Amino acid sequence: MRKIIKNSELIIVSVLLCPLIVFGQSGDGPSYEDILNGFTDPGRWLTYSGDYSGRRHSPLTQITPENIDELRSIWTFQSGTTTRGRGWEATPLLDDGVLYITGSNNYAWALDARTGRPFWEYRRNLPDDLTYGASAPVNRGFGMLGNQLFMVTLDAHLMSFDRRSGEVLWERELADYQVGYSATMAPLILDNKVIVGISGGEYQTRGFIDAFDPVSGERIWRFNTIPGPGEPGSETWPVDPQVLAQGGGGTWMNGSFDPDLNLIYWGVGNPNPDYYDEKRPGDNLYTDSIVALDADSGELRWHYQFTPHDVNDWDSNHMPVLANVEWQGQPRRVVMVGNRNGFFYVLDRVTGEFLLGKPFTATTWAREIGEDGRPIVVNDGSLGCLPDPWGSTNFYPPTFFPGLDLFILTARETCATYVPEEPANTRGQSNFGGTVFIDTESGYGALRALDIHTGELEWEFRYPSPTFGGVMSTASGLVFAGDHEGNFMAFGAETGENLWHYQTGSRIWGAAAMTYMLDGIQYVMIPSGGTLTAFALRSPN
Amino acid sequence: MSTDENSLAYFGTFSTHSLYAMIKSRLSKGAKRVADSISKLTSLLFFRSYCLISVILLISQSVNGQELNPLDGDPRAARIGGSIFRAQCATCHGADAKGIDSIDAPDLTQIYVNSEASDSSVFNIIRNGVSGSIMPAHTFPETEIWMLVSYLRSVGVTGIAVEIGGSPEAGQLLFSQNCSTCHRRGSQGGALGPNLSRITQVRSLEALINSVRNPSASIARGYKPVSVTTEDNELMQGVIKREDAFSIQIMDTSQILRGFSKMSLRALAYEEESLMPVFSESALSNMELNDIVSFLQSSL
Repeated sequence: MRKIIKNSELIIVSVLLCPLIVFGQSGDGPSYEDILNGFTDPGRWLTYSGDYSGRRHSPLTQITPENIDELRSIWTFQSGTTTRGRGWEATPLLDDGVLYITGSNNYAWALDARTGRPFWEYRRNLPDDLTYGASAPVNRGFGMLGNQLFMVTLDAHLMSFDRRSGEVLWERELADYQVGYSATMAPLILDNKVIVGISGGEYQTRGFIDAFDPVSGERIWRFNTIPGPGEPGSETWPVDPQVLAQGGGGTWMNGSFDPDLNLIYWGVGNPNPDYYDEKRPGDNLYTDSIVALDADSGELRWHYQFTPHDVNDWDSNHMPVLANVEWQGQPRRVVMVGNRNGFFYVLDRVTGEFLLGKPFTATTWAREIGEDGRPIVVNDGSLGCLPDPWGSTNFYPPTFFPGLDLFILTARETCATYVPEEPANTRGQSNFGGTVFIDTESGYGALRALDIHTGELEWEFRYPSPTFGGVMSTASGLVFAGDHEGNFMAFGAETGENLWHYQTGSRIWGAAAMTYMLDGIQYVMIPSGGTLTAFALRSPN
Repeated sequence: MSTDENSLAYFGTFSTHSLYAMIKSRLSKGAKRVADSISKLTSLLFFRSYCLISVILLISQSVNGQELNPLDGDPRAARIGGSIFRAQCATCHGADAKGIDSIDAPDLTQIYVNSEASDSSVFNIIRNGVSGSIMPAHTFPETEIWMLVSYLRSVGVTGIAVEIGGSPEAGQLLFSQNCSTCHRRGSQGGALGPNLSRITQVRSLEALINSVRNPSASIARGYKPVSVTTEDNELMQGVIKREDAFSIQIMDTSQILRGFSKMSLRALAYEEESLMPVFSESALSNMELNDIVSFLQSSL
């Protein structure tokens, strides 16, 4: 049954939440239990998606479809650093009235959440021979535990900071950046663990997910996304150990976590080389898959591969979205993914069982996903165009709206032709293995809401060009999204009607909004270009 | 992507089927051989170019302020540079080097005509990257960078190589009578259509004639025609400069820049026909067109 919170309920929820604004802020920083509590304290946003579920659905209700026309900008922070060609991809964390946010080129700040004024700024002194990190000098945010912040770097290190001063507490090398490794994701903080992933799947790299001890900085476990010779999954690769050692499979977007199952859900990127496949026959596990790992050991519990034997650079580095829903009359714990290959998936997150796979763009790649969960590929690219290498969607976060049971994501309609060519395969240089011809005339973007039970399109709002902005929803029935032309927008969750927009002046790329309460005011925030802008119904003064 | 006349080539449409067949056949002939031979040729050329560079450095580092490409004139350098380009650069700059607007990757076929670029400045951009952008520094051996420069030179747009032989003086008059209301040339002319000051350097004669005889066949971004009906029921025609989901920025046919909220418009129609009139041979003879091109080529 469809239901969103109505006005009378909003008031009750608001009254109940108000006391939480006052207590729950000790000055010692958030504990694992605090992160576990997710959105319980509306004055906090403690992890990339706001909670472990990856739903990016806030319970806040001060801003509603009825009053959103009063939403206005309150302050803007100018970072002074940009990534021309991409964007400011981070989500800030919030605690004790302080926002902690990373920026392009491994800058980072602590900002006053009421004014946007900085307390401190950090700039990493990066080497001048960065590899993948130089072509995507972005970062998606901090992890936070107690008074520590955690950030990964373009030269493939994990750093810990004192959040009060911005001083570096320790740093550890994740991998050799000169090979092609980099790191851009927002660390996922668990109980005494910092979980991080790696970038650089176009280079001679082998992807992994690492767990570190937050205090000592020692590594606790590593899961390799490409199996070693003889290990399970290696049968989906040629026997050549060098191919496995350079198989790609980046883990450059952070994952979600189910504390009851103690499982981490994480997306894995493309095989290397991207388009040229003659030297990597087979499905190439665990590339383009979601993996479910035991949080204590890093052991693989199950996997599901979205794009077996990928030749289109369709990384599956998406935020896995967790929900407990009624599925065909039975309660199910599911994980949902809107995938770069153009299909929306629902899986049982206990077992990895395939439940649903439906296209959400006009892809001609596969006719359908068979009952066994494998795609029935009908166009390898030789029968007209496919979604471009940036895909039918990408890493930027979607949102799940409980009650409406809508999965809302930014879709890209594109047309590309792939021509593989054997790459030179040189250390420190990318190995796309071919070229892609993109029809720049025909593309467009759209915010699309999918019924999670059928995958059917419930509503859409179109953008003039293929868009890279993320999505957030609030319990008051609002969906916030950004587009490639720079608009930050709000929509009615039930109908997709556009209710509000604000031109930020630069494309919203990779970022999704976050929201919080401070002094009784609900703020909504979005990075765009080099600026971070806070919106509210009224100014604090 | 700039919105000047040079965008014309970039925004031409193509059939993906025919394109795929063309590219596939072209690449499959020698792609592997080229890839396999890159390292051998690179070593050979590197040694040769090292000698050349040394000689050049000893004698004279620059000609008119531009360092010489030691591989200039060597067709193999451009060919191998093309392979390197496809492997290392095409993801952002496009397989045809014409750039990808959505990630701000510029059209590299235009760099030598639209800027003060020299071979050495292009070399330095490849080596050092562009700060504050996704264009990274590259640690390729110098020879490979020069090969890329050779490739970019080879795919750079070229205009009309020969003098057309018409009358520039007659063309000047014809230009002022037929073209200058909308097109700028030098310090004079309108802004509704592309600036034609350098058009003969970047367009072939065939392309120029086609755009005069059949202007709707290919319309560059920045000049796509639109009709709007305002709240006051005023019908207005113009070209689209920019557009987002909620607003549209146009230049109307009076060459006034106007911005509209789409919600405020009674009607918004994306037109197929260019605002540039069709000049048939009866309206403008081939000889007259020759005169105009001669004028555009001239220093008048």
